[in-house]
Amino acid sequence: MMRPAILDDPKRELWLAWYATVGFYSLYTVVFFIITRTQPPGKPWYDPSQVVGWFAGRHDGLLIGFALIFVLGGLSATSLALITYSIRRMSVSRAFAYSYLILYAVAAVPGFLFICTAMTVGAMRPERSPALLQWLYDLAFLSFSGTMGVFLIGSLIWMTAILLDKNHVFPKWFGYLNLCNALTEVVVAPSWIFHEGALAWNGAIAWWINVVVFALYTGAFIYLLRSMILREDFGTGPLPGLDSKVWRTIVPVEATV
Amino acid sequence: MESRVNMRLFVVWLILVGITVAYLAIDRAANDHGLATASTAVTVAAICLALVKVRIIMREFMEVRTAPPVLRRLTDYWIVLMAAALLGVYLAGKAVA
Amino acid sequence: MTTTQEPLVVVREQGTRHIPGQPDMWVFVFFESLVFTAYFCVYLYSRTQHERAFLHGQSQLLAWLGVLDTVVLLTSSWTMARCVQHARAGRYAPARRDAFLTAGLGFVFLVLKIVEWVRLIHLGHTFTSSEFFQYYFFLTAIHCVHLLIGFVVLGVLVWKLSASQEIVETCATYWHTVDFFWVLIFALLYVVR
Repeated sequence: MMRPAILDDPKRELWLAWYATVGFYSLYTVVFFIITRTQPPGKPWYDPSQVVGWFAGRHDGLLIGFALIFVLGGLSATSLALITYSIRRMSVSRAFAYSYLILYAVAAVPGFLFICTAMTVGAMRPERSPALLQWLYDLAFLSFSGTMGVFLIGSLIWMTAILLDKNHVFPKWFGYLNLCNALTEVVVAPSWIFHEGALAWNGAIAWWINVVVFALYTGAFIYLLRSMILREDFGTGPLPGLDSKVWRTIVPVEATV
Repeated sequence: MESRVNMRLFVVWLILVGITVAYLAIDRAANDHGLATASTAVTVAAICLALVKVRIIMREFMEVRTAPPVLRRLTDYWIVLMAAALLGVYLAGKAVA
Repeated sequence: MTTTQEPLVVVREQGTRHIPGQPDMWVFVFFESLVFTAYFCVYLYSRTQHERAFLHGQSQLLAWLGVLDTVVLLTSSWTMARCVQHARAGRYAPARRDAFLTAGLGFVFLVLKIVEWVRLIHLGHTFTSSEFFQYYFFLTAIHCVHLLIGFVVLGVLVWKLSASQEIVETCATYWHTVDFFWVLIFALLYVVR
């Protein structure tokens, strides 16, 4: 029997990580939007009795969906690892890669796991007092949307790395897109203050427009990570292949900083 | 050559400032009798004037005028898109209210 | 000091067309314009649903102050454009002067904005006091964040002034974007009825 080519491909681990990344984001979308229906978020102005109703209407979905996340959520590590790998491949200091890794790994706890835990706790005993359920509801949505500062800095770190990078790992436009993503974190900050309106955690600006930006950003980096893996030569110099005129940036002759 | 370019930029700046000051006249006219009233005409005028200024900034300051056709067309389409979105949402909102 | 001239400076003649700065920055301009247009649409729609309340809030603004803000930023765009022209022709000293003028005007805008915010807050209008002011403070604040980033961008421009015309143009493109965002915000907050 012929040995399958993929077993000898030096990029196989990278591809494994990339497919895991796609798997993770697909899982995330299906769980949050379809199974648990926690996105779009519940309304911040609900009184405790309405919150009880919200939990009741999603009881099974919450338990099943977040159980899936608890089992498979570790896949998110592959996404993070691949991005960190991409930053390591750049010509900038490794400090960028490590900072990004730490920031996003830490951010996953409040920004991702809190909502899963709080919602599961809320769904587990529907007979809890409404005030307590509302507390869990607030904790879930505020931590999911409101702990943005870490992601903000993380995006800025990735942006700076890309703009300083001389190895052309990513096109510069993606560096600028990181700025757009970072700014969405700023825009979501008022959700701590407003219970209704465009800037509440479910608002037209703080959620809807932000989610569109985030989705486009995520789609972009998944595509660009794939492109990076295709071009990877396991060296330390410029990555080949991104030399169409659109991406080229002029490297100053006097590169001394 | 340098002075011609400088003069062009100066004239562009004058026009932009002129349009901006014209807003004061619109603002005064809109506050007829001292009461602020909703006015579709003022809104449409304000938005259109703003987009005219944006186009001038893009063409002259951002040097789109001397750019390849693809950029010139893209910026124009973008301005039309913004006009359609802003005016469309405003008019739709007035109809719904 | 041995340097080779930026090729773009040498070969550019009358009639050659080039995209100003990195095309990547234009991607950012288009994308961020879309995002801001979305914010403006949300604001305009809210406005039509609560006409009287918005008109009342808007009447607390000083139109002439908005005009002054706009003129200041337009002038900063002018000095920015002049800076790019000077740099392209190798006149780095005037270019640097224009870059600092641009930053100075940006700073004047920032001061005017803060003065305006303080005045409004003293009158009792804050981020949470009414829907109009929620949008007012949100739009002017997110614009100011872009302006503050603009100062960093100007720093990069001055740093790379004699090294890379493309980066100079890229930074200028960003600054003009901050300007035209304000042009739109001014019209929508101060004039639209």
